[in-house]
Order: sequence, then C-alpha cells, then structure tokens
Amino acid sequence: MALNLSDAALQVALFVLAPIAIGLLLGIDRKVTARMQNRVGPPIVQPFYDLFKLFAKRPMLMNNGQVVFAVACLVLQAAAFALFVAGGDLLIVFFISGAGSVALVLGAFSARSPYSYYGSQRELMQVLAYEPVLLLAILLIGYREGTLMVRDLEVNLLPGLALALIALFVVLVIKLQKSPYDIATAHQEIVSGPYVEYSGPYLGVTKLSHWFELATLLGIFTLFFWDENLAVSIAGKLAIVAAAMFVAQVIDNSTARLTRERMVRFTVTFGTLLIALNVVLVFLSKEGVF
Amino acid sequence: MGLADKSRLKSPWMLHFDTGSCNGCDIETWALLAPKYDIERFGMLNKANPKHADILLVTGPVTKKVEDRLRNLYEQMPEPKLVIAVGNCASTGTPFQHCYNVNGGVAKVIPVDVFVPGCAARPEAIIDGVVLGLKVWKERAFAQKDGKGDKETEVRE
Repeated sequence: MALNLSDAALQVALFVLAPIAIGLLLGIDRKVTARMQNRVGPPIVQPFYDLFKLFAKRPMLMNNGQVVFAVACLVLQAAAFALFVAGGDLLIVFFISGAGSVALVLGAFSARSPYSYYGSQRELMQVLAYEPVLLLAILLIGYREGTLMVRDLEVNLLPGLALALIALFVVLVIKLQKSPYDIATAHQEIVSGPYVEYSGPYLGVTKLSHWFELATLLGIFTLFFWDENLAVSIAGKLAIVAAAMFVAQVIDNSTARLTRERMVRFTVTFGTLLIALNVVLVFLSKEGVF
Repeated sequence: MGLADKSRLKSPWMLHFDTGSCNGCDIETWALLAPKYDIERFGMLNKANPKHADILLVTGPVTKKVEDRLRNLYEQMPEPKLVIAVGNCASTGTPFQHCYNVNGGVAKVIPVDVFVPGCAARPEAIIDGVVLGLKVWKERAFAQKDGKGDKETEVRE
C-alpha cells in the first residue's frame, strides 16, 4: 500500500506528541490526586521536570546488562507504539509491548538486590494477570471486525464491545501502577520494585518506556470510538481516555493495595468472564439474534 | 539557566534517614508530606531509596553504629546531591555531644550543605532549609560553569 506523505507526517507527529501528552496526563493525574487529598499538588508539567532532572544526573550503574535491558525496554515499547501509530497489526503491537515488559524484568533481575528480585517477580505476576485479558480483548476486536490492522478499524466499537472495554480498564489500573494493583512498585513495601536499582538517566529511560507503554494501551482505548466526523471522533476518543483516567484516580485514592494472588484471581476470573460474555453477545449479533 | 538546571530545582526527591534521633525531628519531617505542608507542590517526593534521591535529610546525632550506614547511603546517591542536617542533634550532636556512642553531628561523617536548627526543627524551618539548599545548588552550578570548580560551600541558616 502506497503511503502518501501527509499520512507519514501525521504519524510521525503522533509518535512524537503522544509521549508528551502522556506526560501531561500523568501531571494532571498527580494534580487531581493531590486535590482529592486536599493538597495543592505539583504543577502539571512536573513529570517533565522529573524526567529532565533524571537525564541530567550523573550516571551510576550496577552492571552493563542493566543498562542494555533498560534501553531494550525503551526501544521495544517505542517500537510497539510506532507500529500502532502506523496502523499495524494489534497482535504484533501486543507482543512487542509484552517483550518490553520482559526486558524490564530481566534488567531488574540482573542486579543482585533482594528488592529488585522481589519487584521483578511481582512484575511477572502482573504480566500474568493482565496479558490474558489484553490478548483476549484484542482477539475479540479481531473476531468482531474480521481484521486486526489498526488502520482498518474505522468503526464505532463501543456499543458492541462495552464489556471488553471494562475488562481493559482493569489492565489500565495495573499498568498505571495504581492502587489496588500497584503490586510491583509497592512503594511503602518494596521501595519501587523493578526500578529500585536504576538511578539517574537509566531510571529516566525506564520512565520514558513506561510512558510509551501507557501510550500504546491508551491508544487501544481510543480505538473504541470512531465517527464519520473527525472532530466528533477525536472528542469521543479523548473522552474515553479522560473518563478511564478519572475512574482510575478515584479507585487509586479510595482503595488499599491488595495481594498479588487476589490481583491474578480477579483479573483472570472477572476480566476473562466479561470478555467471554462479550464474545457471546458478538456471536449472537453476528447470527442476527438481535 | 538551562533546562536541566531548572528541572533539578523543580524536582528535588528526598531521602530521609534517622541516625538515632528521638523521633521529634522525624515527625516534623513526615509532617511535610501531609496535606498541611504538602511539599509535593514544590515537586518534592519522598523516595525512600538513595539511588532515586537528590536530597538526604538526616536527623539525629549519628551514633557510632549507624555511621557506616549513613556513609553508605550517601555514596549510593548519584551526583549532584545535597545533604541537609535537620535539628540540633544532626547539626552539632547536642545534647548527646560528649556521649561515648555518638559522633556528634552529621558533618563529622559526610559533608553537609545546610544545617537546620531547632529541637525539634519546625516543618517551616525544614522547608526553608531545602530552599536554601537549592540556592546553594544553583550557585554551585553557576560556579562550575565559570570554572571555579565545585568547592563545598557550607551555609549556616
């Protein structure tokens, strides 16, 4: 398929702007959280201050492997998002992003530190919890639309796949590292889990890769709304993201952390159950029952 | 002032270490994180991890037992970093100054940038100390650019 120049320019612009948007979104997140706790909170550009500061710190590393895995994580997450923006296959996007999470875990395992080990075990547990739900949701989109290519998904998925969107919301809470599922980065418990042995610029690299990971996931959220009118389409996509983030903040501020077993049990039962119900609904509508 | 310097002043992450304090200064330090003083509005976060921290807030007179751990934490923090001695004990060791098991102040073990007086140091004074520390940082950054090297500048509040 011949790609015209303006399309390519738009995709590059999206690829560059999305991490900036995620940074701002996380800044708003911190501000809203602070207001919910009756605090003033940091400015909304705070995540950028944090990131630039980290990149300006003097490098300190445990071993070379740690840095290699951090960079691999960034490259994989950025590649997954780039493929998503280019309108590629959702399943491939999912696998590349999953490989990025594994790179983070391997980086944490490469340092001989109990907190780092414990954090990466928990990170693997999180992957075990959210990947089945995410994978099934993506396959369900493919089943309903007959395609997994992002560029061909020009249809409003929300009425048919509302249950799958709710299941994906659980994935978002885990990937945002928010209560009750901030299992791996449990800051009062195991300091910051897989990130504990990273410092300075390398911590910045892992942070940036987390932004790309979120960009990919929220990108999948935006696929659920589509309209003939471009302005309505964009407004609807933003509304889904804003609503999901707000509900995640409310849950974050009103719950305590659960154990990792309960996380896996909940996502694997509740998440897959919702998707199974949705599969039945999609099947019935395909058969023309309603 | 470049983007890196500005970000550094806007995002000082702290590590709090108790070197045998009576917990008076610790309670005042923790009060900073609560809604009343809310230091997150300055971008400060409590990181509880030396590898992520920029500012080391030390309370207590530094007992002989804890000396090595304090040095260890200090060495694990990546440059550029600040050390703030919070309270009279951390500043000079009073009233434990001549005890056989006490070093008598953080400055006997690691270089200190700012001393915050008080028993216990009030949260407002600790915030002032951090602001003063950031000022020292800024001056040091400029001095480095002028080629004067990074001499330890000790400032007493």
